[in-house]
Amino acid sequence: MIGKLTRRTALKGLSLGAGASLLQPLLAQIVAQAADGAAPKQRFVFVLQSNGINPNHIIPVGETLRKSNDPFPNSETIELSLADRELPDPIAPLSPFKKQMVLLQGLSGCMAEGGTGGHSTNHGALGCYPGSAGPMAQTIDCALGEAVPGIIRHVGLGVLEKKDQTLNYLLSCSGPGKAQPLQCAPEQAFRSLFSSVIGGNDRSAFEQKTSLLDFMTEDLRRARGALVGGERQKLDEYLAALETLHRRQGAIDAIKPSLIKAVPKLDEQFAKPTEVNRLQAQFEIATASIISGLTHSVTIASGGGHQNYLAFPDIGIPIGGHGIGHGETVDGLTTEQLFIKTRKFHCELIARMAAKLAEIREGNGTLLDHTLIVYLSDSGEAHHPNLRVWPVVLIGGMGGKLKLDGRYVQLPHYGVKQHRTLANLYLTLLSAAGQPRDKFGIPDNGLRDIDQSGDIRELRA
Amino acid sequence: MIWFRRVLLAVLATALSTHATYADDATLSFVRRHCVECHGDKKQAGGVRLDGLTGDMSNDGPRWMTAAEQVRRGLMPPEDAKQPSATAKTEFVNSVRHELAVRTQRKPNLGNLVAHELLFEKAAASNAQATEATAPRLWRLSPDAYSAWVNDVACGTPKGVVQPFSAGAERGVQDFAQLARVDEPAAEILLRNALTIVKQQTRHDIVDGKVQAKNDTVREFTDLMSPTAMPTREQLLKALSKQFRLALGREPDEADVAHLLKFYERCASGGDRPGAVTTMLTAVLLRSDVIFRSEFGGPDGMLTPREVANAISVTLCNRRDEALRKAVDLGQLVTREQIAEHVRRILDDPKIAKPRLLGFFRDYFEYHKAVEVFKDEPKDLWHRPDQAVRDTDRLVLHLIAEDEDLFRRMLTTPLAFANVKMSIDKATRKEVMKRSLIPNAHNQRGKSVPEELYGLKEWTDQQPFAQPANTRLGLLMQPSWLIAWSENFHTDIVRRGRFIRERLLGGTVPDLPIGVAAMVPNDRTHTLRERVSSVTRAESCWKCHQHMDDLGLPFENFDHYGRLLDQDWVLDAEATAKNVDYKGKPKGDVLRGVPLDTAGLISGTDDPKLDGPLKDPREFVTRLANSDRCRQVWIRHIFRYYLGRNETLADAPSLQAADRAYVGSNRSYKALLVSLLTSDSFLKRGPQR
Repeated sequence: MIGKLTRRTALKGLSLGAGASLLQPLLAQIVAQAADGAAPKQRFVFVLQSNGINPNHIIPVGETLRKSNDPFPNSETIELSLADRELPDPIAPLSPFKKQMVLLQGLSGCMAEGGTGGHSTNHGALGCYPGSAGPMAQTIDCALGEAVPGIIRHVGLGVLEKKDQTLNYLLSCSGPGKAQPLQCAPEQAFRSLFSSVIGGNDRSAFEQKTSLLDFMTEDLRRARGALVGGERQKLDEYLAALETLHRRQGAIDAIKPSLIKAVPKLDEQFAKPTEVNRLQAQFEIATASIISGLTHSVTIASGGGHQNYLAFPDIGIPIGGHGIGHGETVDGLTTEQLFIKTRKFHCELIARMAAKLAEIREGNGTLLDHTLIVYLSDSGEAHHPNLRVWPVVLIGGMGGKLKLDGRYVQLPHYGVKQHRTLANLYLTLLSAAGQPRDKFGIPDNGLRDIDQSGDIRELRA
Repeated sequence: MIWFRRVLLAVLATALSTHATYADDATLSFVRRHCVECHGDKKQAGGVRLDGLTGDMSNDGPRWMTAAEQVRRGLMPPEDAKQPSATAKTEFVNSVRHELAVRTQRKPNLGNLVAHELLFEKAAASNAQATEATAPRLWRLSPDAYSAWVNDVACGTPKGVVQPFSAGAERGVQDFAQLARVDEPAAEILLRNALTIVKQQTRHDIVDGKVQAKNDTVREFTDLMSPTAMPTREQLLKALSKQFRLALGREPDEADVAHLLKFYERCASGGDRPGAVTTMLTAVLLRSDVIFRSEFGGPDGMLTPREVANAISVTLCNRRDEALRKAVDLGQLVTREQIAEHVRRILDDPKIAKPRLLGFFRDYFEYHKAVEVFKDEPKDLWHRPDQAVRDTDRLVLHLIAEDEDLFRRMLTTPLAFANVKMSIDKATRKEVMKRSLIPNAHNQRGKSVPEELYGLKEWTDQQPFAQPANTRLGLLMQPSWLIAWSENFHTDIVRRGRFIRERLLGGTVPDLPIGVAAMVPNDRTHTLRERVSSVTRAESCWKCHQHMDDLGLPFENFDHYGRLLDQDWVLDAEATAKNVDYKGKPKGDVLRGVPLDTAGLISGTDDPKLDGPLKDPREFVTRLANSDRCRQVWIRHIFRYYLGRNETLADAPSLQAADRAYVGSNRSYKALLVSLLTSDSFLKRGPQR
């Protein structure tokens, strides 16, 4: 278990041993960050589950805040402490983290609708723009990865129905027109992220990349020799970009001991790549990527984008999410029971990840205190969502920059002056990450008379 | 104004000999003496501050231009201030204009800082010979050119290859040589894409110890994938030659071969020879000359034949043209006549795809951005901006193909395509026109369909068709343009006006000052014209808005969905308040019609044929279409698009020749392009700077 290893100790040893001057700036940065007294970096994990999150699934037991499936009636914020309340059955596995959690109800995301047959909002879920628009602007996972960069800015992982669908380009985006792939083959993701430490062909792939970066750098140096002024500057910028990538390869090699400790054992999952095993593997890979310091921003998508849904026969859900969304039942289980069972499984995986992060000490707390897990669906509140309510579960912390203190927060309903959107949540996260912005995505036309800028007061620390 | 131009050119000719690169002391001193008292640290009249102006006009160009224009128009210094002499004013204006004219402005939308008359006066053209020629440069592939390159190298786009380059954030022309860079995320994607492409090129199975290549792979590469066989030097050379031809359109030279074989040996030292081959092949795809097209020129200062072939191919087609490559090998791409012949060949051959022809019109009018303006769909309209864009694309392609008086027709044609798509008829194998969007009786019930926007009561395959009289003319009244230049909830008078000022009149408008919150009042009981005017006519705002608002107002003839209006609509507050159900719950807004006002004004062009009031958008575009100045401004934008930079005084001969070629060839667009792509500006390079 890696619980006893602190990042500071591991990296301090590294900085003394790995003397390569090329790595010094990055190593110095990592070591400084891990040193006593220095504020540890924030990390972010976005967990997207297709098929919507029913708002009733996150209302504490015994609370009657909503009549059946009616719109929420409150025009003022309702805040309830979770300390003396039970979490509802669908998210009960998250109970151990009640003190570090906010169940956020009442956000809307109507700006993200459109174009996918009334199902997923695609990039809109993390980008706050229409799902039909393609990757038109940076999504929040990539924006935070850029705000708090790790060795790799963003790691995208996913699971799709067919095993040979290895990449999902429908949810993350690093800039206009630049869809960011989610690696949906866990074994491939594993080999790509941990190739420097798992030997064999994977070590060769790592070395191949390093060799190519060597070649490109050398080629550019030769080409720029013939240039002066602005034209030379163009190649200098490209060269600087390559050197950063080169340093990253070096930095990955330099954290080899942490990687070796963190690298998960996934032989069983790889041998039998069912949906359950693949998703479990992706959560393990994401956890290891955060713990080892490879990245500070991860997205995990279970299905997601267009009409990508999963069945989980291993746990008694043999029919796909689309069927469930349209009311199919199986083995005496009602549609709602199937929804709950699926939700519980995802919450168990999130809880397992949170528990691992909570075991690792960092600064004056744990790694979980500096890692925010955001759990939501790419289709808002339902299989065919109207997006006027978009339930979100927040777990962990941002090093004290966000008020995650065990609350159920129900914001004013859609159309009311104090109403807040998903974009306001993302603005809050960017602000807490030290990268405040005036707006995120595009405004909701239906809220034209409401100020859609700014953060969410109730989440401010 | 003739006296002014003569004085200007006389001063200019003197100034040219000095080759000054910065504002001289006299110019700076003029600002200090006559401007800074009211526009300095203590006081910023009209929100304008000039005390921080530096002599480097490549940074401060827009502010210098604003100051010079105010002086030229006699608006500054104000009447009650101490006046400089007429000579001092003229010298100041000329000095600023000259400096802005000889230095290339980096950003696409600063091209108009070069005063129009400097470029199109005959004397200016002869004086321009003394100024600097185009500098040697590198030009990174555009996103479209990169996609085309991948397609050529990998015989299709392999799964997993993604776009490394973003379109520019600037308005207008997107692909500017100076602005295209490779940053860290792009470099990473380039590396990943190259590995994916080579993986596709070398896909194979090993069956009984033998390599079995898969479809769409490259034989020369898969031959080297055996884990047991040692590749011969000949095989490696053959593979390198193939990859060079695919990626760069040429054979590798001796240095390339030596360098890459050495790289191969280094990679193969671990024993994985197929791995070393793929690494070597990937390296070819990652060379800087794949990503950057070079235009350095030969010893004679002209682009080398290979550079010409590359430049012409990418400029018109986004991808390499095989016939041009052969012409290089045969030594048949040396003279201007030979180059012109190939440009004509490409333009005349319908089988050669030329996406950059349409690309210019998209960048220039930006109508394709209609799909990015998000609107609620009204109850009575099937709002499909994507189809509106496709219809405008088709109209542009039709006008280009007819190649008659394109400038005038693009502004004033009554023709339109409506709700059209082209498909291949299975029986005849010919392209036929079909109705693109067919309404669904349930979903589109009660909504007008896309063709009705253009005045068609029933869809027809006889397209293009002439739209009803007194409705729409040209591209500026196409629904796509009107939507693209609108806001989420209403039209956009100011930005439309700015479009006309910059792209057709060749003027400049300063960017919104920092700290100014530009808000149109949301009181919908008034028309947008009234709401905009209520804020922009304030003295401090009007200084800039006078260059825009009156030019955008005629397009209020259409709503923000691009529908023709016969009256304007405002909120009826009283009726809305009464519009409640039996429980008192509001049932929605009630609108009332008010008379439509489409009047506008052209001012500040110094051209009496252009300046003056306008009654509606049809009169407006007709006046623009008949203007020599507007046509020349359009040609300036064509120059920027195809040469990937702003024009300077040195380009005056090329621009004038292009204009002459167009006018003198019964206004043929092809003739204009041939002239431009065989001009000194396109083919000649000076020393590096």
